[in-house]
Amino acid sequence: MKFLNTITVLTLSRNLAFAVFLGLALAACDSEVSNTEEDVVALTFSSQADAGASAFATNCAACHGANLEGTTLGPILSGFNFLQRWGSQTPTLLLGNIKANMPPGGAGTLTDDDYLDIVAHLLEANGVDAVVNALTASTDFVISENISSVVQRQQRAEPPAPQGVTVAGNVDDFVPFVPITDAMLENPDPADWPMHRRNYYAHSYSPLDEINTDNVGSLSLEWVWNMHEGDSEPAPLVYNGIIYLINPGNVVQALDGKSGELIWENWAGPANRQDMRNIAIYDDKIIQATTDARLIALDARTGEQVWETIVADSSKGFSNSSGPIVADGKVILGLAGCARYIPEDCYISAYDANNGELKWQFETIAEMGQPGGDTWGGLDDVFRAGGETWITGSYDPDLKLTYWGTAQQKPWVPVSRHMTIFDVGLYTNSTVAVNTDSGELDWYFQHVPAEALDLDEVFERVLVNRGDDKLVFSLGKYGILWKNDRVSGQFKGYTETVFQNAFTNINAETGEVTYRQDIQNAQLNEWTSACPSSAGGKDWHSMTYHEPSGTMIAPLSQTCLENAAREVALVQGGGGLAASRKFFEMPGTDGNLGKVGAYNVDTMEEVWSHQQRASLHTGTISTAGDLVFVGDLDRRFKALDVHTGEVLWQTRLGTAVQGHPVSFAIDGKQYIAVTSANGGTSPRTVPSVIATEIKYPSRGNAIYVFSLPE
Amino acid sequence: MKLGHKAFSLFFTTILLFTSIAQAQTETYRARLSPMPTTPQTVSTILGEGEVILTLNGNTLTVQGQFEGMSSVATMAHIHNGPPAQPGPVVYQLEIADATSGEVSASLELSDIHVEALRANELYVQIHSETNAPGELRGWIFERQ
Ligand code: HEC
Repeated sequence: MKFLNTITVLTLSRNLAFAVFLGLALAACDSEVSNTEEDVVALTFSSQADAGASAFATNCAACHGANLEGTTLGPILSGFNFLQRWGSQTPTLLLGNIKANMPPGGAGTLTDDDYLDIVAHLLEANGVDAVVNALTASTDFVISENISSVVQRQQRAEPPAPQGVTVAGNVDDFVPFVPITDAMLENPDPADWPMHRRNYYAHSYSPLDEINTDNVGSLSLEWVWNMHEGDSEPAPLVYNGIIYLINPGNVVQALDGKSGELIWENWAGPANRQDMRNIAIYDDKIIQATTDARLIALDARTGEQVWETIVADSSKGFSNSSGPIVADGKVILGLAGCARYIPEDCYISAYDANNGELKWQFETIAEMGQPGGDTWGGLDDVFRAGGETWITGSYDPDLKLTYWGTAQQKPWVPVSRHMTIFDVGLYTNSTVAVNTDSGELDWYFQHVPAEALDLDEVFERVLVNRGDDKLVFSLGKYGILWKNDRVSGQFKGYTETVFQNAFTNINAETGEVTYRQDIQNAQLNEWTSACPSSAGGKDWHSMTYHEPSGTMIAPLSQTCLENAAREVALVQGGGGLAASRKFFEMPGTDGNLGKVGAYNVDTMEEVWSHQQRASLHTGTISTAGDLVFVGDLDRRFKALDVHTGEVLWQTRLGTAVQGHPVSFAIDGKQYIAVTSANGGTSPRTVPSVIATEIKYPSRGNAIYVFSLPE
Repeated sequence: MKLGHKAFSLFFTTILLFTSIAQAQTETYRARLSPMPTTPQTVSTILGEGEVILTLNGNTLTVQGQFEGMSSVATMAHIHNGPPAQPGPVVYQLEIADATSGEVSASLELSDIHVEALRANELYVQIHSETNAPGELRGWIFERQ
């Protein structure tokens, strides 16, 4: 530890003060500097904080709120949330994070001193009151140890955040619980929605048809349940009439689907406000990934924890925002937060569903000396970053292959990562087909090599059988719908679902893409304009495959961006995202940000589209009632005719409709459920910069359940 | 899009006029004007919207449009040459009211190259204002549906 010129003035209790003082004295043999410096320079922590307040107001408040309270554009930076995230870290780490990533719209004229001032302001506003000396780029005290109220609280025995089962109950009291088998997951009961996107092929299709094009006009609200607040993009599970619902902050609830009654609730921690998209069910267990990269199994009847395992070290930045898929008794999970320059890389990993024991790991980044390891421009392994798998994959039980998309290299722009457009960086921005028994790579197809605009191809892989053809479809941020053979990976075709001008050519035979010249050559601080924007042609909102009509129906987004690469130093622990961006409407769309596009999977032609001003914030689902359901930022939840795209029904919810709709049946009666939610990155930030007239409350996470009147 | 009632009927008669005079020889194009690329920091200072209708008869391009709600008064308006979402150089000057809302118009003789550019969606309208000298409103020109 080095306490360069940080002197902590202690208004704390004596014992603690003494202990800290001793620690300082021991550790700070070379800290004489600070005393002498103090005489020369008048700069203090509080003068920095004063200057930082105005720099924050100008550069950050638009998204994080004038009082750090957070807005729909950026998270809260104060109180519990801030301390949870940053309390145990140092000003240097906070400074590094902010400099690398904030503001996302462009560093503008912010200098290193401005950033230091802003950090001082953030600390002071969060109660740091035991610091006098000015911060420097290497100030490394533990933030929470300099907040007297926190130190006092830690000395008192405060009730901790909820942990474990907070509401006790038993599913058996509502409906006898039947363990769910592999066979049931391979061929789900029409009444169930037992996994993210309902089946292993990720079709997001319900075979229920009681609600159909004739009667959907009278769909009515059955019940609504408010969820915990925080970032949320949830995909509920429904099994045997019970809804298992992932809430922000790693809270899982079981609700009776018929009555909306809460049966049990479990807090796995950390009790934050972060997003987790989905959970899984297997045998008699609900399996949950946490935002700090753990994996937990709960008893599906009671919510009691059965086992827990650590997926990756969250103190190194690893995290999860999507949950697992359970294939053949193995819990298969991706990993996110892999943008840092550290020796560890991202992986897909598999665990025994019975006890959480690790079965295998597949690293998504090829290291030096491994196959594909020569595609990183000779960069040292430490500096190979990215390749996150932040969206849950799919599974073919016959081929025993699990299909995942991988994210792009980090930082975003080749020049920022000290590479060229020819350093493709395997296995980023690819489809990877991994053997579920061995964890070995069966094949890969890299959709966009050497990605240059923060447009990843990470989203769901939808498996489709047409005649003898076994296909896999994917649709990434470039808005290109890709068709590959899922046995061999061979390219089979593509279609552009929204306007894109990033590629001047896409080879019709091989699928090979050629970037526009100015994107290939983009230099630091040079602005490049391209479509779609980082909100994607498509983002995390999954598409649906309507098998009866052979159409893929996708929720799409039409915005563009100007992007400027920023310098990222190649130092351990550095890395990050590093680009500045501005956003605008996609030319030729008449200001319609939202588009539901339907594509024939044989011809790859667009069958219809529904376009609207408000951006879409749910996945699409389709049903045997020939309906497509989708929700938007303007609080509208809509039912469209799967053959024409005509809007047959719509209603308005409390806030933005966000998440993944589901359909299920209880006692033969069909229900449609959808969540309203807030939070999220580019898909929320970009529309709120462009379609500023759309207003919605910043609270209101909830699940709404609809049915036909008796 | 909120366009004033007056503006709307004016543009409607304009269209009627042109269709009756020029019939099949004319091609009608349209640009939706919306704010230049913004960030959350600039979104409250780059404002407004509008619509420009452009009619091509031979090489003569008649430009007639409205804009409203800019953050400060308009200073200049141009047609630029660049494919969709890729900024490019100024190729023609338009007449514009020095107000935050008003009309933009011109009658231009296009070169053959620019007629081709028009048909290839490679022209766009850009309006500059006092506080947004690099441009406040912009819209690519597409054939009118
Ligand atoms: C465009 C809106 C926007 C602006 C402007 C902006 N931020 Fe952010 N900020 C975000 C978003 C969105 C996130 C969440 C990013 C993510 O989760 O990937 C974020 C995250 C952060 C975080 C991490 C929060 C956490 O809990 O981990 C910090 C710290 C932060 N911003 C500080 C700043 C500072 C300081 C500024 C001004 C220099 C700033 N931001 C400007 C949108 C913004």
